[in-house]
Amino acid sequence: MQWSTLFQKELLENWRNKKWIWVPLVIILLSIMDPITNYFLPQIIESVGGMPDGTVFELPDFSPSEVIMMSLSQLSSLGVLVIVLLSMGTISGERKSGVSELILVKPVSYSNYITSKWLSLLLLVWLSLFLGLLMSWYYTNILYGTLSFVDFTKVFFFYGIWLTLVVSLSIFYNSIFKSSGLVAFFTILTIMIMSIITKIFHHVLDWSPNNLSIYIQEMLTAEKINGDLWATSGVALAISVLLVLVSIQMFKRKEMAG
Amino acid sequence: MVALLTVEKLTKKYGTKTIVDQISFKFGHHKCVALIGPNGAGKTTTLRTLAGLLRPTEGTIQFESQAKNQDIRSWIGYLPQYPSFHSWMTGKEFLTYSGRLAKLTKIEAATRAIELLKVVGISEEASNERISRYSGGMKQRLGIAQAIIHKPKLLILDEPVASLDPIGRREVLVLMEQLKQEMTILFSTHILNDAEEVSDELLLLNKGKIIESGSLQDLQKKYQTTVIKLEIDDSVDIYQEKINALESVANTKIERGALFISTVDLKIAREEILTLAAKEHWPITTFSINRASLEDMFMRVVNN
Amino acid sequence: METINWALLAPLLIIEFLLLIVAIVDLIKVKETNGPKWMWALIIIVISIIGPVLYFIFGRRQR
Repeated sequence: MQWSTLFQKELLENWRNKKWIWVPLVIILLSIMDPITNYFLPQIIESVGGMPDGTVFELPDFSPSEVIMMSLSQLSSLGVLVIVLLSMGTISGERKSGVSELILVKPVSYSNYITSKWLSLLLLVWLSLFLGLLMSWYYTNILYGTLSFVDFTKVFFFYGIWLTLVVSLSIFYNSIFKSSGLVAFFTILTIMIMSIITKIFHHVLDWSPNNLSIYIQEMLTAEKINGDLWATSGVALAISVLLVLVSIQMFKRKEMAG
Repeated sequence: MVALLTVEKLTKKYGTKTIVDQISFKFGHHKCVALIGPNGAGKTTTLRTLAGLLRPTEGTIQFESQAKNQDIRSWIGYLPQYPSFHSWMTGKEFLTYSGRLAKLTKIEAATRAIELLKVVGISEEASNERISRYSGGMKQRLGIAQAIIHKPKLLILDEPVASLDPIGRREVLVLMEQLKQEMTILFSTHILNDAEEVSDELLLLNKGKIIESGSLQDLQKKYQTTVIKLEIDDSVDIYQEKINALESVANTKIERGALFISTVDLKIAREEILTLAAKEHWPITTFSINRASLEDMFMRVVNN
Repeated sequence: METINWALLAPLLIIEFLLLIVAIVDLIKVKETNGPKWMWALIIIVISIIGPVLYFIFGRRQR
C-alpha cells in the first residue's frame, strides 16, 4: 500500500536523522526539569551562599497536581517550540530541495503524502510526550506525593490533543510555504494570536484549545473530567483534522515545480 | 501513426509573461524526440508541464487511451535537470521506494531496482551507499533509473547529459538508445550534437514557440546546404579560379586552407568539378558534400 | 548542609549526557554540516541540552 510506503519512509528518515532519539530525550528533560529543580531549590539556595540571616523564606509546598502542571507549562513553551522547529521542514524542505518533484511526479496521492507526514509526526510527538510525562509522574510520586496512574494517563491524553493541534498547524503552513523558516514563524505566530484572542474573549471562548491546560488542571483538582474539557478537546481535534484536510486541498491546487 | 501523445495549443503563462506559447505536436511509440532550443526558450517549462508538475494555462495534453481525468502519472517517467534525492537513503533504497510509489509490489520494486542498477551501471557496493556520497554522474544515472522503474510509456529527460563529462555523456546517450526500444523518450538539450546522435524527431523551440519540427532526415533535406568542401594537396588559389568559372557554381571561399563551394545546383556542380579534376589530375585529398549540421539548421531557423 | 541525593539527579544527568553523545557521534559521522564542524562541536559541548538541540535542528544538512 502506498500510504504505508510513505509512512515507513518517514519513520526511517526520523531514525536516520536521530529524531527518534533526541526528541524523546529533550521532551523528557523538559518534563522533569522543574519537578527536580523545585525539589532541590533549598539546597541550591544554600549552596550559592544561602539567605541572609533573619530572612524568613517559606518555600511553597507543591501538590502532586501542581508539579505535573509545571511539566505541562514547560512543554507548552519550550516543548511547543521544539515541536515546531522539528516539523518545520517536513514538506517545505522537500519542496525547496526539489526532491518532491521526483516523488510527486509518481502517481502519489496527495492525501497519502500529507497524512503520512502528519501521522508520523504525531507518533513521534505522542511517544515523546508519553515518556516525558511518565518520568515526570515518577518524580512527582517519589518527591511530592501520590498522583494516580489514571490521572497521569488522563493528563497525557488531553495534553496530547493540544500538541496534535500544534503539529497540524505546522503541517498546514508546510503545505503553503516553501521556506521552513516561514513555516515555523507562522505556526508560532498563530499559536500566540490564538492565546491572545482566548485571553481577550475568555468569557465567550470557553472552548478555545488554548484553555486545555487550564481544564486539565481543573480536572486534577476536581478529580473529574468536566464537560468543558471534553468540548475543548473536541474543538482542538476538529480544528486539527480540518487543518489537514485544507492542507491536502491546497496542496492539490499547488504546482509542484517552480 | 498512432500517436502516443497529442499536445494541442499548450500554453503556460506566469502573469503576463508567456513562457510556452500555443505549442502543438504529437509523437508515436518508441521514438526519441529531442526538444531543442536556446537557453530560456521554454524547454524546462514545457517538460514540467507535460510531466504534470505545472498546470497548463491553456491547451490539452492527451495520451493515447487516456480516459477523462485519469491520473497519467504512472505512464510518465521524469528526470529534472538538477535532480535531488533523499540523500539519507541508499541508492537501492531510493529506487525501491520510487518503485513502490509508482505502485509496484514490494517484490517487483526490489527486483526492478536491482535490474536497473545494473542497467545504469551502479555497482552493488555503491548501491548500498548513501546517496549523499554519490558523484554527479552517479546521481544522474540513479535519476534515470528512478524515472524508468515503473516502465513508463513516456520518459521525459531535462538536459540529461548537460552536466556530465564526456564519458558520462557517452554512457547516458547509449542508455537512451537502448531505452528507445521500450518507451518513447522526450529530452531537451541545447547541445545539438547530442540531439543529432540519438533523436529520431526534433522539436525546435524558440521564445516559447515551436518553430520547426520533423524527423532529422526531413529537416536535413529541407535545410540542406549546397556546400562542397574541397581540399587539395596544393595551393587552392589556382583551383579557385577554375571552379569559379563553372556555371553551376555560385561562389567560393577559402577557409583554413579548404575551399568551400556554394553551388547553384549541387548535382551538376559535383559532376563538373569531379570531371574537371579527373581531367587535370588535381591532387584532391578531400571532397565532401556537407550535410546541414543541426547547428546550421538551427541558426537559420532561428534567424529567419 | 544535607548531601545532595544523587540517585534522584542521576537520570537527569544521564539523559543530558546521552543527548550530548548522540549529537557528537552524529556530528562525527555526518558528511557536511551547515557551518564548520568544530563550531558545532563547541556548541554541543558547551551549551547543555540546548546545544545538541540546536545542532539537530540547524546544524544537520537536511538533505
